[in-house]
Amino acid sequence: MALSVQEEATRIADPVPVAVHLRPPVRKGVTERFSSSDVQPSLEVTRFPLVARLIRNRKFQFFLILPNQIVFWAVVLLGFVGTADPGLNFGTAITWYVWFCLVFVMMVVVGRAWCVMCPFGGFAEWIQRRTFWKRTQKSLGLGRKFPARLARYGFLIPVVSFLILTWLEEFFNIAGPGNPIATSFMVIGIVASALVFFMVFERRTFCRYICPLSTLIGSVGSMGSVAGFRTKDREVCLSCTTKDCMRGSADGYGCPWYTWPGSADSNLYCGLCSECYKSCPEGNVGLFLQKPLTSVVAPRRRRIDVAWGIALLFGLVLYQQFNATNVFAAIDNWLNTELHFPQYPNPVDYLGFIIVGAALVSGVAWLVSKAFANRSLRFDQPGNFIEKKSQFRTYFMPIAYGLIPIVGADYFARQLPKFLKYSPRVVPAVMHIFGFASAKSSLFHLSIMTNGWIVFTQVAVIVVGTLASAWSMWRITRRELVSVSRGHIGIYMSTLAIVLASGAATAVLYVIMHAAN
Amino acid sequence: MTVLDTAGAAQGTQAGQTNGHPHVSIFADRCAGCQECVVRCPEEALSMNSELWIAVADETKCVGCRQCVRTCPFSAITVSGPLIVTARTAVTTQHPARIEGDVSETRSGFSTWDEALAEASRCLSCPDPTCVRGCPAHNDIPGFISAVADKDLERAHTILRRTTLLPDVCSRVCDQSAQCEGACSWSLAGGTPVAIGAIERFITEQAPVPPLAKTSSAGDDLSVAVVGAGPAGIAAAWDLASAGAQVTVFEKDDNPGGLLRWGIPDFTLPEAVADRAWDQLRAAGVTLECGKEVAAGDLDELLSVHDAVVLTVGAGVPMRLPVPGGDLNGVVDATSFLHASKAVLDGEATLASVLPLVAPAAGEAPQVDRAATAGAHRILVLGGGNTAMDVARSARRLGIEATCVEWLDRRFAPVRPDELAEAEAEGVEVRFLHTLVRLEGGDGPAPGTATAGRSTVRRAYLATTIQESPTTLPKVQRAKPVEVPVDMVVMAMGYRNDPDFTKVLPGTPLKRVAPAGVPDRSWMASGVLAGPASPFAHSRPVGTLALGREVGIQAAALPFRDRLFAAGDAVVGPSTVVEAMAQGRAAVRSLLASQPRRPGRPTVAPSRVLVCYESNGGRTETAARAIAGALTGRGAQVTALPLKRVGARELAAADVVIVGSWVEGFVVAGVHPARRARDWLAALPHLGGKKAAVFCTYAVSPKAALAEMAAALEKAGADVVAHAGFSRNGAPSDAVGFARELLALCWPAGVEAQRAQAAAAGAGGTRAVTR
Repeated sequence: MALSVQEEATRIADPVPVAVHLRPPVRKGVTERFSSSDVQPSLEVTRFPLVARLIRNRKFQFFLILPNQIVFWAVVLLGFVGTADPGLNFGTAITWYVWFCLVFVMMVVVGRAWCVMCPFGGFAEWIQRRTFWKRTQKSLGLGRKFPARLARYGFLIPVVSFLILTWLEEFFNIAGPGNPIATSFMVIGIVASALVFFMVFERRTFCRYICPLSTLIGSVGSMGSVAGFRTKDREVCLSCTTKDCMRGSADGYGCPWYTWPGSADSNLYCGLCSECYKSCPEGNVGLFLQKPLTSVVAPRRRRIDVAWGIALLFGLVLYQQFNATNVFAAIDNWLNTELHFPQYPNPVDYLGFIIVGAALVSGVAWLVSKAFANRSLRFDQPGNFIEKKSQFRTYFMPIAYGLIPIVGADYFARQLPKFLKYSPRVVPAVMHIFGFASAKSSLFHLSIMTNGWIVFTQVAVIVVGTLASAWSMWRITRRELVSVSRGHIGIYMSTLAIVLASGAATAVLYVIMHAAN
Repeated sequence: MTVLDTAGAAQGTQAGQTNGHPHVSIFADRCAGCQECVVRCPEEALSMNSELWIAVADETKCVGCRQCVRTCPFSAITVSGPLIVTARTAVTTQHPARIEGDVSETRSGFSTWDEALAEASRCLSCPDPTCVRGCPAHNDIPGFISAVADKDLERAHTILRRTTLLPDVCSRVCDQSAQCEGACSWSLAGGTPVAIGAIERFITEQAPVPPLAKTSSAGDDLSVAVVGAGPAGIAAAWDLASAGAQVTVFEKDDNPGGLLRWGIPDFTLPEAVADRAWDQLRAAGVTLECGKEVAAGDLDELLSVHDAVVLTVGAGVPMRLPVPGGDLNGVVDATSFLHASKAVLDGEATLASVLPLVAPAAGEAPQVDRAATAGAHRILVLGGGNTAMDVARSARRLGIEATCVEWLDRRFAPVRPDELAEAEAEGVEVRFLHTLVRLEGGDGPAPGTATAGRSTVRRAYLATTIQESPTTLPKVQRAKPVEVPVDMVVMAMGYRNDPDFTKVLPGTPLKRVAPAGVPDRSWMASGVLAGPASPFAHSRPVGTLALGREVGIQAAALPFRDRLFAAGDAVVGPSTVVEAMAQGRAAVRSLLASQPRRPGRPTVAPSRVLVCYESNGGRTETAARAIAGALTGRGAQVTALPLKRVGARELAAADVVIVGSWVEGFVVAGVHPARRARDWLAALPHLGGKKAAVFCTYAVSPKAALAEMAAALEKAGADVVAHAGFSRNGAPSDAVGFARELLALCWPAGVEAQRAQAAAAGAGGTRAVTR
């Protein structure tokens, strides 16, 4: 249609803009910074009107949270009033046989899919916003900012809370699963701490800085094929002077995750809540897919907190494999006797092992940096933990990112036995609520796979993870390490060796674990 | 730019501040590289680290104004350290040595260019100037300050004239601490703002405000009546006259100026300044009819002989405190007292003839030392606001002891701080946290008064109050009230609108209302709404106050009835000179654009069409665009916008409003316009006879949805001329047919042809007609 319709009411006299002379935004370096991580327009999901309407709807997130909300309150309730048999209690069965495994599947496929439907943060957010889905202008709580002194450790704080939670879980045998009431207390604890943080701090400070799963979901999730909500045209974002996606508008909240679609280079910080999509007045935000592993390989900015997080998470999952071996049992028993600690797991060997694991990863990276770094490299960027640059970090950060697929595969493989052995128990557990089934039910004893096949599957998962890691590491090395290293073949060989050694170690541990069983 | 730059830093050191620059820390974890701070930093101290894509600061350039802190959406910047700015150039306040009878101006402006230039150099010329938002008229403050810095007074006046007609008045009477200066970056950062008012006054004192000049011919054939000659009336008459219109102003007093003349005493606003605008208006040929009161019932008659009427009658009904004894002889309102005191001080009347109760006995001269006469002439002023100060200070100039009683806490009272300080310096006693409980009369009537027969007020009883926060009302304490001897009581607690006029101005509040909902996006981004209010503004939230004033300007831009506009206090209730002026200009801008014609004159076809739509799947939008396209082809100026982007401003700029929505619901249970459209329609402002049309898109049946939309528009005062429903299976030509029907209704045949010709001659042409 050849129309001369005036889109904007430009004739309206408003003297304020006349006096506003904003500086032009800096555009230098934008292309270099974002070209590798930018999304492809053809992979925009919100191109489809139906999807766009669905996501534009304010009830979108509510209806994702609602089913999980119901399930988890049922979990809490059944922990108190249901059967004490963890295999037959719906609460423990759904949480540990199905949910925990599904979360990992969602991470690897999507990214922060769990975050958009999480009933813990979701519940606290309902209260913080004083609504289930509406856009309210006044929030409940103190609305403080998380202190910069702590927040500078970014994704390391969630790793620490994950280590603490995992230790508690092992100590009380929550995920074993043990007594269902322990699971109830764990869920209540998480919801209560989420609520406290949501009441004291603004936005999703809890999810970004505290939630035990945040770093794991974020880093492993970067393998995922959903890029999150990103800008369609960066120029529109750069010249935007109101930034409704960050501050919020009448239609949507400002980003609860402290992310700007205009500069997002990975799905690490995107909670998929769609608020930026709703609030952008230009319709310049879209939900994009990406090729798997893109957010591992592509981001130009590597984060030291994420790198250390991956090293520690790797240490933790190796610990969880190692603790099933006879050697570990002997060490733990000896330490408990010596330190008069009542039972497994001894905190000293727990932390010790994880720290050794992380130290191994970082130590190897350090050795690689010593062996291959160009002598001409100079680092003149001092600063605090999050912004400092050094020769070690130049190597450690890319190498740690390259290990993400192995770490992800390892966590996933670690959850497989419970799912493959016991997930059919969910059916009798549901029936048991209504008084129908018992431990004699045939489904209760049904397994999807035998132990031998389970180990085979675990090793296969590790092999796939190792291949993904090798590919990522090769791409990362080519882009980020070759230019700063002497001996190009040497750097390729050593990063590849790190991947293969990690893969082999985890695969072998699964075989040994099986032998120990 | 960099007005201050390193020089400013050096002067800052001289001014006794620390040598170091402020420390800026940008929090790399949370900085998303959005550059909101970079584009707004007045000193170009912020740039981007292109590798990490976060902002970086050059602390040697930073002056500590903290605009980055206010505008960062994720609170990722903190600034600590001093404000690098020179001390504010002081202006002097002169209290007469002998106050009785002296009406010379107390406040003075800058007397030398050096002072003005020193103060102008303190301005940061912020890229997103918050002061401009703080100013109700939105003067381009950095603009005229930079003109002063260049010693270019002509440019300064040109910049001022774009937004204000009364710079000489506003610079004297505005409470800058709650407006521009309160919203100055330095003020928001906790410092002392640029003396914007003093610089504006300096401009008008160095070069007189230029006379009225004809600047357009938009109103050449219009005849407009303006009712009321106060600040809003001045602005309306001025803009109408400069557009070529025939203006007749009706004023009930004997002199024009309204509040400027009698409401603000000469020691704050000298008569010469108050009269300047009217001298220029009369010189430009504006007809002024003084002593002619127009009642609300006379408006129809006025509208029949004029093309349009602008109602600027103000809010002049004084509020009275209902206390026992409030009807005693000697209890008067501020209006009568100020009128009387002005007459006495101007030498037009004697104290004994207008205020016999407080007049000294015959032969006795006013005395400086009141103690000698043992408090024989005391007035009690109820209220602690600016009017109360004016009353009390006028009383002091008449030689009368004055005590103000204000039930609010001193910290929260709505009084100009400088005004209060000056009043106290002149010997006015202001008792905060006190309230009047009752008045008691004395023995017999006062001699020579018209109301002889009633007893005269002699004693006031005051109770103490307590107020905990600015948002709570004070509580009256139970202790025994204190007796205070008085000769006269002046109720100066404020004014309210004349109920007769509020009836003809639908939707006007008696009191000020705060805006609801989301503030304008650009206001949020500017940072004026963020952070704690500054000490300079006495903890008043200047940004929120400023945003509230926008409501009044938008209300004035819309007609209240066909061809009837209103502005000033009549619309928003008691407010300020500058707001009244800004509203007067807004009303006239709309008036001129709508080309009103009185009965009997050939009407002009409406030319500005606003098509607004609430679309979900896109069908309503398509229909809206088809209608817009068809109308554009016929030469109308069409704007198509989604409903959520249509506010009072957009409505004010349209002659015809076409509203479209999809419908929801079930045929059996009732079909309604979409929820958003219903909410929008329910919140419509007054549309004063604007032509309107409604349409909807539906799947099965629109049922009563169209009638519902039409009823909502009619309730707002619109004249709904057409409606149409487009079914799912309908063709795009349905919309074009509807547009054609609209054309026939809104654009009479002859005029349409004329319009089409005009459009064909201009850009755009009639291309879309043949579609």
